[in-house]
Amino acid sequence: MCRFRRLLFPVRRRLYERKDDLMKKKLNEKRRQLSRRDFIKGSGALGAAAILSNTGRIFAAGSDKIRIGLIGCGGRGMYDTTNCLKSAENVELVAMGDLFKDRLDGSLRALKNDLGEKVKVTPDCCFVGWDAYKKVVARDDVDMVILTEAPHFRAEHLKAAVEAGKHVFMEKPVAVDPVGVRSVIESSAMADKKKLTIVAGTQMRRIAHLVAIMERIHNGDLGRILGGQCVRIGDGMLGWGPKERQSGWSDMEWQLRRWLFLTWLSGDFICEMHVHNLDVVNWALDAHPVQCIGMGGRQVRTAPEYGDVYDHFAVEYEYPNDVRIEYMGAQIDGVTDRNDQRLVGTKGSAYMDFANAIIQGEKPFKYDGPSPDPCIRQHADQIAAIREGKPLNEGKRIAESTLTTIMGRMSAYTGRALKWDWVMNASKLDLRPPKYEFGDLPMPPVAIPGKTPLI
Amino acid sequence: MEFETLLSKGNFMEGKTGVRNNKLTRRGFMKASAAAATALAVGTEQMFAAGSDRIRVGLIGCGGRGEGAVKDCINAAKGVELAAMGDLFKDRMDKSLGELKKDFAANVKVTGNTCFVGFDAYQKVIGAGVDMVILAGPPHFRSIHLKAAVEAGKHVFMEKPAGVDPAGIRSIIATSQLAEQKNLAVVVGTQRRHQAHYIEIMKRIKNGDIGEIVSAQCYWNGGDMLGYWKWYEREPGMSSMEWQCRNWPWWTWLSGDHIVEQHCHNIDVINWAIGSHPVQAMGMGGRQVRTLGNIYDHFAVEFEYPNGVRVSSMCRQITGCTDSVSERLVGTKGSSYTDSSIGYIEGPKAYRYDGPNPNPYVQEHADLIKSIREGKPLNEGRNVAEGTMAAIMGRMSAYTGRALKWDWAMNASKLDLTPPKYEFVDVPIPEVAVPGKTPLV
Repeated sequence: MCRFRRLLFPVRRRLYERKDDLMKKKLNEKRRQLSRRDFIKGSGALGAAAILSNTGRIFAAGSDKIRIGLIGCGGRGMYDTTNCLKSAENVELVAMGDLFKDRLDGSLRALKNDLGEKVKVTPDCCFVGWDAYKKVVARDDVDMVILTEAPHFRAEHLKAAVEAGKHVFMEKPVAVDPVGVRSVIESSAMADKKKLTIVAGTQMRRIAHLVAIMERIHNGDLGRILGGQCVRIGDGMLGWGPKERQSGWSDMEWQLRRWLFLTWLSGDFICEMHVHNLDVVNWALDAHPVQCIGMGGRQVRTAPEYGDVYDHFAVEYEYPNDVRIEYMGAQIDGVTDRNDQRLVGTKGSAYMDFANAIIQGEKPFKYDGPSPDPCIRQHADQIAAIREGKPLNEGKRIAESTLTTIMGRMSAYTGRALKWDWVMNASKLDLRPPKYEFGDLPMPPVAIPGKTPLI
Repeated sequence: MEFETLLSKGNFMEGKTGVRNNKLTRRGFMKASAAAATALAVGTEQMFAAGSDRIRVGLIGCGGRGEGAVKDCINAAKGVELAAMGDLFKDRMDKSLGELKKDFAANVKVTGNTCFVGFDAYQKVIGAGVDMVILAGPPHFRSIHLKAAVEAGKHVFMEKPAGVDPAGIRSIIATSQLAEQKNLAVVVGTQRRHQAHYIEIMKRIKNGDIGEIVSAQCYWNGGDMLGYWKWYEREPGMSSMEWQCRNWPWWTWLSGDHIVEQHCHNIDVINWAIGSHPVQAMGMGGRQVRTLGNIYDHFAVEFEYPNGVRVSSMCRQITGCTDSVSERLVGTKGSSYTDSSIGYIEGPKAYRYDGPNPNPYVQEHADLIKSIREGKPLNEGRNVAEGTMAAIMGRMSAYTGRALKWDWAMNASKLDLTPPKYEFVDVPIPEVAVPGKTPLV
């Protein structure tokens, strides 16, 4: 919950606020009233037709059991599992995997406390180590996996899951380099063939006020879109993860435990976190960028324990039809917090953040409806799709949004303007380490624009 | 490499006349200016047939730009004489004097008695019987020099930027008003405001050819400038004040940082097109490569102008990156693109400038001198003060991480980068700004 709450109610100073506080209060009240239970009730009403799933299993809509395997037992893994199990009836957690035993054990305890009977994980269904994901997807009693390891591993885990015929809920971002993005696109195509569902944890796609404003934008209420901004600034994340390297931790383990701050593992924050916001831009424009030029650096978060990631990025994305979107992102404490997207068209402009959706111009609009929790809804949608045998595959879309962020990072790291087609098809950037084992692994150098080579 | 050689329509690339070429450009102009001088002289003959009035010029600030401005001024009109010179450093002044004498022996009337060195050199130049001064000292000193010149009744050509902090900008605006009252000219080295294709594109924008402006971008993404300016290591016995003054481009209190010192050109174009200064700014930046002095090597700022028009500004001084020095304005009916060599409009009223393009470095002096001789002195003080202030706001926002409003920065900010005293003594070495920690003053 905590993460979504933070998304919903970001601490902000007021300068850029153009919303009225009353409306916000009203929205928040509604949000509280519409609890998760509403979703559970809703999904029960889906009907009882038995549907042949593509994995060969027969799901009785609305009732038959769906068994989940969790791969990646960090905070987000627990959060997604909790939401998934609460989003519909008869969803159970049956297997878990993680690189580290302590993380897995801690998550299992917490999940059992919270979810009780829904957690059916026994010790023989717990897997630890580099191949834990293989053991989870190999289990016949797993219908669907939740992929919440560090983004670096997503492409590989997705491939294994789809090959094994599992439905997939995966967190964003889905890769850290173009090689990973290509793999995700291939696996997603394979999932289509196998009639497996893939949902990506881009909950903004299911925030009611954003869904409502997007309908209007796509309907032409802004006229032709001419430009826009996407800004997410704040929270240095300094308190994240273990601060001290424990004796006995290899270089590899230290980097994995601090994965958020290693580009090869997280993709840097433009990718890891701000893929949400850039995904909203892709959604609004119904396209990915065609080129970009970016800059960035680390001016504050420079201590060695913050690995090689930057603390600020600014990227100009050019979309089809000469539409330029300026993205600014920073993870720095003590600055003016912002988190918003804005589009301007020939007939008006749209403003969006986590609480508001406003159109000004010829067809003004201000969202005033309910705001159910999108983090629950994304799971409810997927469970319903599985049970009804309906296609639901967000793989390619999230792969493209992920590449949008990777492209911006690559441009900032190298200082070079980049074209989408080159990054998607020709870039050889592959951040995989020589081998996956707990041993020596030098801390990667921080990128230096003009010197870091474009690969 | 194919992928980056041509980004469509040259949006990122066509501004390649950027920083690294800037020096060449200036040199090129200087060479070309010999020929241009003849042409100009013919063209302007009639103008001052009435009066063969000499214009006696005093140069304050004898660096590369000061020297260049004197040459441009001499090339711009007949009757220009360099009568006095002043600089902080004798070696810089002697070097400039030598160079100027080489090319313009007839126009350089500077004598041993009209060469001045030190922190008060500007006062002595102003007092040396000149009609007009060229202010080309580091930006930090501009407001002080302008005030002294206008109070003494001198016409002024001054280099951009107009200052480095809000205190200096307020002074520039007040002095510009005084100049107006005294019928004195204040022309600024913005180049673009005197450049034919810029003037034509702006005319069309003001005429509504791209509709209502809704968005814009401006860039000065170029190299690290170390081929143009130098970094001087501190010599034994050299005070930290002298060391900083010799290294003025690299210290914020002296140059304003590169967003102010250099990128103010492009921001000024946006102000010109929109007809207003921004109302607020939110910026970011840092130093990722060049770690000289205390300036950053990159900035990105979102400026908000009246009516919700947002403008993106990017500037970078890092060698080996994709360069662009240009502006783009987006309107409801089209868009415009300008850089130092071309200007065009896309949309229903498409247009591409292909007329003559006189050297703007010379043209701004020609316009200035013409206005003086015609008794209708140009006054661009406020324009450049506002263009500079926008850049200062961007820097302040990036340094502190805080969004800023124009009204606050212009009226309430107490930021004043003046050192305790102007003497060659040891003063503290300024620190590099850290967003979220550097206080907003």
